Amino acid sequence: MMSEGAEKNPSKSPAPVVASVADLQVHFQSKRGIVHAVDGVSFDIHDGETLGLVGETGCGKSVTARSFLRLVPKPPGIDAGGSILFRPRTTCDACEGRGCESCHQTGRVSAGCSACSGKGCSECVQSGEETLDLMQVSNSRMRSLRGDRIAMIFQDPGKALNPALTIGSQIAEVFYQHRSAEVLDAANVDVSGIDPGSLLLKRQAAQQSRTIERTLLKIPPLRSRRNQITAAVDDMVADALAETQIANPRKIMQRYPHELSGGMRQRVMIAQALACNPDLLIADEPTTALDVTVQARILELIHELQQRRQTAVLYISHDLSLVRRICDRVAVMYAGRIVEISDADQIFQDPRHPYTRGLLAALPSATQSRGKLAAIEGTVPELVDPTPSCRFSGRCPNEVETCARFDPHLQSVGDEHSVACFIYHEPPEGSGGRPTLAARSS
Amino acid sequence: MTMESEHPQDDAAAASDKLILSLHGLKKHFPIKEGALQRVVGQVRAVDGVSFDIRSGETVGLVGESGCGKTTLGRCVSGLTDPSDGAVYFNITEGDRDRVDALRDIPDEQRSEQEREELAALDEAHCINQLNEQARRHYRRNCQVVFQDAFASLNPRHLVNDIVGRPLQVYGEASGSELTTRTVQLLEQVGLGSQHLYRYPHQFSGGQRQRISIARALALNPELIILDEPTSALDVSVQAQILNLLHELQRERNLAYLFITHDLSVVRHMADRIVVMYLGKVVEAGRTQDIFERPQHPYTKALLAASPDLSDDTDTEIPTLEGTVPDPAHPPQGCRFHTRCPVATPACGWDVDDVVRGLENQENLFDGLSAVNRVSPFEAQLTFDNEASARALADTLHSNAISASMREALEEAVVRDRTINIRFNPAEEVELTERAPGHIAACVLDPAAR
Repeated sequence: MMSEGAEKNPSKSPAPVVASVADLQVHFQSKRGIVHAVDGVSFDIHDGETLGLVGETGCGKSVTARSFLRLVPKPPGIDAGGSILFRPRTTCDACEGRGCESCHQTGRVSAGCSACSGKGCSECVQSGEETLDLMQVSNSRMRSLRGDRIAMIFQDPGKALNPALTIGSQIAEVFYQHRSAEVLDAANVDVSGIDPGSLLLKRQAAQQSRTIERTLLKIPPLRSRRNQITAAVDDMVADALAETQIANPRKIMQRYPHELSGGMRQRVMIAQALACNPDLLIADEPTTALDVTVQARILELIHELQQRRQTAVLYISHDLSLVRRICDRVAVMYAGRIVEISDADQIFQDPRHPYTRGLLAALPSATQSRGKLAAIEGTVPELVDPTPSCRFSGRCPNEVETCARFDPHLQSVGDEHSVACFIYHEPPEGSGGRPTLAARSS
Repeated sequence: MTMESEHPQDDAAAASDKLILSLHGLKKHFPIKEGALQRVVGQVRAVDGVSFDIRSGETVGLVGESGCGKTTLGRCVSGLTDPSDGAVYFNITEGDRDRVDALRDIPDEQRSEQEREELAALDEAHCINQLNEQARRHYRRNCQVVFQDAFASLNPRHLVNDIVGRPLQVYGEASGSELTTRTVQLLEQVGLGSQHLYRYPHQFSGGQRQRISIARALALNPELIILDEPTSALDVSVQAQILNLLHELQRERNLAYLFITHDLSVVRHMADRIVVMYLGKVVEAGRTQDIFERPQHPYTKALLAASPDLSDDTDTEIPTLEGTVPDPAHPPQGCRFHTRCPVATPACGWDVDDVVRGLENQENLFDGLSAVNRVSPFEAQLTFDNEASARALADTLHSNAISASMREALEEAVVRDRTINIRFNPAEEVELTERAPGHIAACVLDPAAR
C-alpha cells in the first residue's frame, strides 16, 4: 500500500466510503432455471458505521455478504454483474493512528491509487484512492484481503470453528497468514539477513512449509528460533482474546471449540475476525444461535470494539428490534433487492415501503391485541427467472396494476432515505396508475 | 410452601374454567453414565420440581434460556418421556387435585396405609404414566404436540393426506371418503386446501409445514396442545400468520396451549400466564401482565431487559448478565440463579462449587490442587501440592476477586498445612412465595421488606 496518497479528500461526505456495492447480481443455476438470488443491490458502507441488512429468509442478504469475500460457491453461483468496490485503509500519517481532523478521528485513511498516485483515474473511479473490485481481483489478492482487511463473523460459531484445532492455533493462523512480518519482528528473528533459517521460519509462519522444511526446523539452533516465534504468536493471540473480554485467555487457547459455551465460541470468532484490525467486518446473524442474555453481551462487545477501532460493520440480521439498537443505517432487502435504505431512526419512525411497514407491524408487541397481528399474507416469491415487476407485488396491500408490470428502483424520498416503490415516485409512461398508501386495506 | 402459592392460577383463572392438566413436583433427571460398566456417576437435573396447572382455553407460556429444561418439561407433559419423580395429572377435578397436593406433601414414610391407598387410586385414575391403556389413549388424543422443527417432525415420505389423516385413522374416527373430507376440513382450518392433499412435506415452505403440523395436532379435537417453539424457525411475517391462526383456533375450540418459547415478545403477545424457568426450576410464575410490568425475580428482570424491543430507547445500555448457566448436573445450592444474580445476598446459598465457578478463570489458582474432601455442599477441604497455593486461594477468597455477598457468606477459610478448609453458611433451597395474588416468585429478596 502506498502512503503518499494518504492525504484526505475533503470533498467527500463526513466519513469516506469503505466499500460500495453497485448493481450487484448473483444468480444461481438450478434445475428449474436461473435463480436471481441477488438482483441489483447497491449500497455504500462508510468508515466506522454499522449498516444493518435486514430481510426474511431467502431474500439474499447472506449471499450479498458472502460476495464480499467471494465465498459464494461457483458453480452453482453465477456472477451476473455489478461490482463491489473496496478501498483498503492504511494508518493515517498525520496522527499515526491516534485519530485527527484529517482522518475523521478514525486514525486511518485510504491508501492511494497505485495507477495514478492520487490524481484520479478510471481504475479508481476518479477517487484517487486504491480501489479494488472484489468481484474482479485475483485469487491471491482476495486471499490476502480475507481476514486481514475484510473479516467475517458467521452465524453458528459451532460450525465455523474447526473442531480439530485448539482455539489458540485457529487464531494464530490469522497472524501467520497476514502478519508474518510482525510475528518475526516480535520474535526478534532477523529476516532481512542472510540467515538460512529465517526463510524456513517465514515459510513456516505463513504455513507454506513442506515436510522436509519442518524436519529441518527441528535442528536445535533453528528450533529455538521457532520456539521464539511460537511464543510471540501466543502473546498476540492472548492479546486478541483478551480484547473480547475472555478471562484467562492463556487457558482458553489450549481448549477445543467443543469445550466452550456458545457465547464463548462467538467471542473467539470475534477475536479471530478482529485480530488483524480489518476495515470491514461482516457479521452474519452473529447472535441467532445464542440466548437473549448472551446475545446482549455479544452485541455490546461488537459495538464497543467497533467504537474503539472505527471498523465499518455490515450487520446482517432478521431481527428488526436488534438492528434498531445497534445500526446507524439500515437497508431492508426483499427478494434479492433493497427496497428501502435509510438512517436507522428514520426507518423505524417513518417506514415508507409497504414491506418495511408490514415487517414492523408483524412484530408481536404488548399493544396489539391477540390474534390481530398484521401478518404479511402470502410467501416470498421464488426468484426463478423473475419478470420485470415489483418483487413485492402479490403480497403488497397497496398494489395496483402498474406494480405487476414495471420495476420500481431505489429513489430518494428525502435526507439519505431511498425507497423502491411507485408510491413515492412516478411510474414509467403508459402504466396503469400509481399506487397510494391510502389504498391500504387495513 | 402453601397450597395457594403452588397453584397461583386458582385466583387468576375464572372458576368455571376446567382444570386440564396439573403438574406436581415434576422432576426429570438424566443419568450420567461412565466407564465400561456404564456406572451412573451423576444426574443431569433437567427438570427439578415443577408444579403448575393448565386450564381449558388458556395459554400458559413457558420461558427460559436454552438448557433450562423447558423442552424436557414439554416432553414429560406430553408423555414422550416418563418423569423421574412427581406426576402429571390429567382430567382431574379441583377437589382431587387439592387432595393429591395434600397427600404428596406428606413425606412417603409418614403416610398412613389409608392415605397411601388413596394416593395410589388417584394416581391410577389421573396420573398420565400410570393410566390403563384405554385411559392412556384418551389422554393421548387430548394432548397433542406441535414441534419446533416442522422439517423434522413431518415424515418426508408421506403425503400430507396421510400425515394429517393418520390420527383419524389410528383412532378409528373416519375412513374412506369421509377421511378425505375430514382431512380437507382440517387443512382448510389452517389456511391450506384440497389442492395440497397429495403433496410431500418438502414441497411446502416453512410456514406451510408448520400449518400442516398444526392441522395434524387438531385432527382429534384435543383439549391441550403443547407448542414447542412453534415459530422460532419462521420469519416474522410468517410468525405473525401462525400466531394469528393459533389464536383463532383457540377461540373457536376453547383449546389450552402450553406455549414453550424463548422469545419474550411472542409469549407476551400470546400467553395468559407465564412460567419462567431457570436450571430446571420455576423462578417466577404469574399473569402475563404482572410478569412484564412487575417482575419479582432478578432473573426475570434480566431476561426482560436483555430482549430487544421496538419500543425501547436505543440509547440505553442493554443490561447484561455475567457468566454462563451453571452445569445442571451440579446446580448451585440455594437459589440457583445466585451465581449470576446482580443483587445476590449472603443468604442466597453460596457453596463450595461457587468458589471454583467464580475463580476458575483466575490464572493458576487451582493448578496445584491435589485432593478435595467434600463434607457437605457448603463445606470442603481442598488439598494443594504446596502451602503457598493454599495460601493464595485463601487470600483470593478474602479479596475483591469474589463478590461481597459471597465473602460475607464465607464462614471459614482456614489454611492448615497444605489444606484449606472452606465453609459457607448453609442455606435452604428458596421456595416459591406469593408476591401478589396469582404471582409467585422464588427469591430471598422480599420486595415488601425493602
